[in-house]
Amino acid sequence: MTQLIRLARYASTIPLMLAVTALFLMMAMTFADVVMRSALNTPIEAATELTRIMMAIVVFSALPMVSGRAEHITVDLLDPFFPDWMARWRDAFISLACGAILWLPAERVVVLAERARDYGDLTEYLGIPQFYIGWFIAVFTYLTAAALIGRGLVLIFAPAALETKND
Amino acid sequence: MTEALIGFFAVLALVLLRMPIAFAMGLVGMVGYMYLNSFRGAVSMVGRLIIDTAQDYGLSVVPLFILMGLFVNKGGLSRELYQVSYAFLGHLRGGLAMATICACAGFSAICGSSLATAATMSKVAMPQMRKYGYDDGLSTASIAAGGTLGILIPPSVILVIYGLLTETSIGKLFLAGVIPGLIGVLFYLGAVRFTVMRNPTSGPAGERTGWGDRLKALKGVWAVVLLFFLVIGGLYGALNVYPINLTFSPTEAAGMGATGAFLIALFRGSLTIRETFGVLKETAYTASSLFAVLIGAWVFSNFVNLAGLPEALRDLVQAYSVSPAVVMLMIILVYLALGCVFESLSMLLLTVPIFFPLVVGLGYDPVWFGIVVVVVTEISLITPPVGLNVFVLKGVIPDVTTGTIFRGVTPFWVSDLFRLALLVAVPSLSLFLPDLLF
Repeated sequence: MTQLIRLARYASTIPLMLAVTALFLMMAMTFADVVMRSALNTPIEAATELTRIMMAIVVFSALPMVSGRAEHITVDLLDPFFPDWMARWRDAFISLACGAILWLPAERVVVLAERARDYGDLTEYLGIPQFYIGWFIAVFTYLTAAALIGRGLVLIFAPAALETKND
Repeated sequence: MTEALIGFFAVLALVLLRMPIAFAMGLVGMVGYMYLNSFRGAVSMVGRLIIDTAQDYGLSVVPLFILMGLFVNKGGLSRELYQVSYAFLGHLRGGLAMATICACAGFSAICGSSLATAATMSKVAMPQMRKYGYDDGLSTASIAAGGTLGILIPPSVILVIYGLLTETSIGKLFLAGVIPGLIGVLFYLGAVRFTVMRNPTSGPAGERTGWGDRLKALKGVWAVVLLFFLVIGGLYGALNVYPINLTFSPTEAAGMGATGAFLIALFRGSLTIRETFGVLKETAYTASSLFAVLIGAWVFSNFVNLAGLPEALRDLVQAYSVSPAVVMLMIILVYLALGCVFESLSMLLLTVPIFFPLVVGLGYDPVWFGIVVVVVTEISLITPPVGLNVFVLKGVIPDVTTGTIFRGVTPFWVSDLFRLALLVAVPSLSLFLPDLLF
């Protein structure tokens, strides 16, 4: 189990690098676009659509990690009233439920992506097929669901393994 | 109406069971939508929202402003801000606490987060106040309270989220926050004065700084001024000097601010590659969880609107012929009560989908309501038992008890209540600037 978690951790460095790179590029491109537009009157025409694509990459690459590490925004008001063992089962159940909830919309995202492929939707300036982005979002929505379910299972069957993961 | 109310309490119950807010709102919204519409319609709506939200250009302002705030923190700009505020105010009784408030306000003008403002300022202001023998209660309270200005004085991440949730102009919201923010500074200075009047030993005067040194200190804050004018000036076309056309969209302003803050931190040598990576990673995580929450809130909003809650609430108000002012007062009381126990962002996300349509339906200005919501959110950051800014300070300065901070901060949130009353009574304080420019 510990090995599996370690594997998940290693695997997560790829989307992390992707998110970090996309974010930095998004910042640099916005700057470059403004400078080129105002000083040289030559804006980066594709800036808007590239920003949109990079944003999808930033947000969705990070989502499985945010979910797997339980870093979502939560309310911890009642924490003092839950003894540890109860908190563990509560968190496990909530994590499993969240993963399950996500499955249906994820399927829907696939359908929407495939529809974009059928229609041959392309982005405006660069002609990038829309369904690439759709599929990317779909894959990472599934990964997020998997991360949540994984976390829930680990909490039930091997809670000790998680402590090393969250250090 | 019943469905929406059941939905709201279901979200509340799930959230209290520690389900992430994004999922609680998303789940209840989806199930409710299924009940009122159809299974297919609900899943379809959620899928659409996921795929569209991730690619919404307008939302790119969120990660970029967060990024700017984190880079600004690394840039060490808080030190100069404190120095200049001290140079002008340090010789007064309670002057160091007053300097803290002003430095916080200055930092708020380049950082959109209250927690970050409080955390950063505590590192510079606290050692100074300790050196001059300031009472721990007053020192920590001035930082905690001053920090709350971060979300009111533009740029502000909370105002951005409010603007996105309600489709209100971010540019107008930012401008509307300026005067209430300055009033907040004045009232906080009054709170410091009140504290030292009651207990003169709590805030002794520091040394007076000569005008030469004051001017020198003033020069030190060029980076802050530059960043502020780049972002806010750019947003309102103040940098439009022929032949250069420099009017920014909110996303561009945030991108310029982030790049500017990055370059400043880089040239000051306070940023390593490792730290840059850390900042980018933290931004990606934060942005990701915020997007999840936004998607969840929209799913819930769709359900609430389909259930006809806004209309039902409006009918209810009309049926009992309650005046809009009374409704507003009740909403504010609900906020103040929720603010005591809820963390600020959660409170905003849970309530805005319910209250916003009602408030606008009653004829109130959405921009003004945004400012009111942010001011009650500010209050929620420092009121016991759950005041996040107080907890941040407790984290940074572990040897002060939470009780001491909460005691010290009392005059400050009381002054906040006066400010809230003033802003509610005189909407033009918020709306004057945006009306002038738009």
